Amino acid sequence: MPDQNHVSLMILAAPVVAATLSLFIKNIRMLHGLNVMTMVILVVADLVLWATVVREESFTALGNVVVIDSLSIFILSIVVGIGFSCSIYLWSYFDDEAIQELVQPRRLWTFFPLYHVFLFAMIVATLANSLGVQWVAIEATTLATVFLITFFKSRESLEAGWKYLILCSVGIALALFGTVLTYYSSIRVLGEENAALNLTSLLPVAAQMDGHVLKLAFIFILVGYGTKIGLVPMHTWLPEAYSEAPAPVTAMLAGVLETVAVYAVLRSKSIVDQAVSPGFTGNLLILIGLVSFGTAALFILIQRDYKRLFAYSSIEHMGLAMLGFGIGGPLGTFGGLWHLLNHALAKSLGFFAVGNIFRRYRTRQIHEVQGMAKVQPITAIAFLVGGLALVGMPPFSLFNSELLMITSLAQMTFQFDSFHLGRFLTITVSHEIRSLGIIMVIVLLSVALFGGFIYRLTGMVWGTPPAGIRQGEAWHIGQLPLALSVFALVWMGFYLPAQIETLLQRATDVVIGR
Amino acid sequence: MPTLPINLGSYLVNLCSALLLLTCFAIVAQRRLMACVDLFALQSVFLAVTATLVAYLTGIHHIYLAAVLTIAIKAVILPRILKKIVRQLNVQREVSMYVNIPTGLLICGGLVILAFFITQPIVHLGFLLTQDSLAIALAIVLIGFFIMVSRLKAVTQVIGFLVIENGLFLAATAAAYGMPLIVELGIFFDVLVAGLIVGIYTHQIQEAFGSVDTSRLKALKE
Repeated sequence: MPDQNHVSLMILAAPVVAATLSLFIKNIRMLHGLNVMTMVILVVADLVLWATVVREESFTALGNVVVIDSLSIFILSIVVGIGFSCSIYLWSYFDDEAIQELVQPRRLWTFFPLYHVFLFAMIVATLANSLGVQWVAIEATTLATVFLITFFKSRESLEAGWKYLILCSVGIALALFGTVLTYYSSIRVLGEENAALNLTSLLPVAAQMDGHVLKLAFIFILVGYGTKIGLVPMHTWLPEAYSEAPAPVTAMLAGVLETVAVYAVLRSKSIVDQAVSPGFTGNLLILIGLVSFGTAALFILIQRDYKRLFAYSSIEHMGLAMLGFGIGGPLGTFGGLWHLLNHALAKSLGFFAVGNIFRRYRTRQIHEVQGMAKVQPITAIAFLVGGLALVGMPPFSLFNSELLMITSLAQMTFQFDSFHLGRFLTITVSHEIRSLGIIMVIVLLSVALFGGFIYRLTGMVWGTPPAGIRQGEAWHIGQLPLALSVFALVWMGFYLPAQIETLLQRATDVVIGR
Repeated sequence: MPTLPINLGSYLVNLCSALLLLTCFAIVAQRRLMACVDLFALQSVFLAVTATLVAYLTGIHHIYLAAVLTIAIKAVILPRILKKIVRQLNVQREVSMYVNIPTGLLICGGLVILAFFITQPIVHLGFLLTQDSLAIALAIVLIGFFIMVSRLKAVTQVIGFLVIENGLFLAATAAAYGMPLIVELGIFFDVLVAGLIVGIYTHQIQEAFGSVDTSRLKALKE
């Protein structure tokens, strides 16, 4: 069995080496080859680490710098898995034709190094033991992706990139304040030392830390990383950035980066929950989750641009996942984590399809795209599956995870019956009415969302194609990730593989601190 | 090891933190972009002095390193980049603002009170030496926010962001005697890269729009 130190080093070094090499390679095929090869190495290393976690629960490597447990390996697998399919998709997205038309070949040599740095930062954020290093890595993802978002250098994309840079940097600065506060309370217990921000030292003593400071810290961390996740009301950068970035980049932002930011919130939650009652973080997450879900659902109804449609759907699903984590307990947390995986698959599938559509139709307006079934049959199927999965239709696995979360909501016993609004006004609601009320709101909005989404999708897939458009679609290696994602979504809708289920169970235990 | 009495040390640290806060108000009251950049550099110098004082009084050596980096990056390199941008773009003054200066100053005064109010329940946990600095740091962060939302020019928005960073750094130094070294280095690296990116970016915006007034970025409004 390979040494886990070596494997951890490999998974960190591979993207760095690839980023450096891509600076010097001028041949486009070689760039693609290097990219896919790096991803294969990452996938293999991830599987080895996964096997180690199954044996040993959790371990540290590279002298306590890296900590890997079920939760981090679960997130890492999403990062690496989606990254892998994205790299294969890139092969067809930046093929010879696209390079001639869309971008000068010279520009691609800035794309790949940044893409690898982006991957590296996300891997560091997932594996870092120190919460401080995790923050540095998440800020680095912002910096690495700015020029990926503005890759086409149109006016709109520059505007979207500026908004993204400013809003996310500021949001993330708040998360740093939260991290400083966590450190502030941890050195009371652990003493002034370098390990006082390490998860491995924080988790055992979290119960002794000062609850008031941690509450304040969690609020800052939730708002800070929530900006990266795209939770309402910090979401304003998201629809713009997602719709202006090249499709593979959007797939990475929506599928992976959001997941990593959620991971950072979960780590913080598992510490705070030990010091104060879980009701505190739970109620905050439920509130912000519901607001995000509701707002996004309403905005989806008025979209005319199909890329923005999928962008708002990201906000909606992250809201749902937050709701799951807020409800907490084994069921809600399990549902939330599974939802992260399903969403990453469905959303990357959606954006891959969207990229293909844009390249053929050259428009982002929904009403100008018609007759995809004839023009691009393969993409049309992928697009339809992605869309149906995202509105929560069976037999796709998002249905199962959403059902799990709603079930957990119905079973939930709220710890607090009264809301104190100011000093004088107190509203008391019984458990049943409140959880039923939330379920009703969710179901009603879901129905509206379903209608809005399906209406637009069917309009795009069927109908008569616009005149003068090339019809038919040849099989290409870049369509492999679409097929794989469809397969995974359907498969997990019927049957959750035992390995993934065990991993999810254990990751749930990590989050709720059992 | 400290040769100053702890009381005097505490006064000095508080004085320096207060000076940091004062420069924030000066930035809010200043229309000329060049002067804003200078004020930010001055604030960074005060920050470095605070860090040096804390390092000297506590005998924790890695804070010295942080102070040196603060001078190098925030008082020299970043102001240079920003001034170059201001000169290139030939915008000297912030003509229009969302909030006029007197109102802005009043709001900032309110923010300081808010910061003291929020941190009141937790300051007793801190070290004796730097007890008041946490509230001041939060106040600086909030004022940084205010600068970002009330100004239109890209350069002043960036200064607002850097002021927030200064506030965070003061919080880390004051509340916890500095973050672990590796984290501090990472933060400096991120800030430096962010500064460089802004430098390249404003250039691209200028090319595409012929102005760096961010209020012209309106094409994507819902």
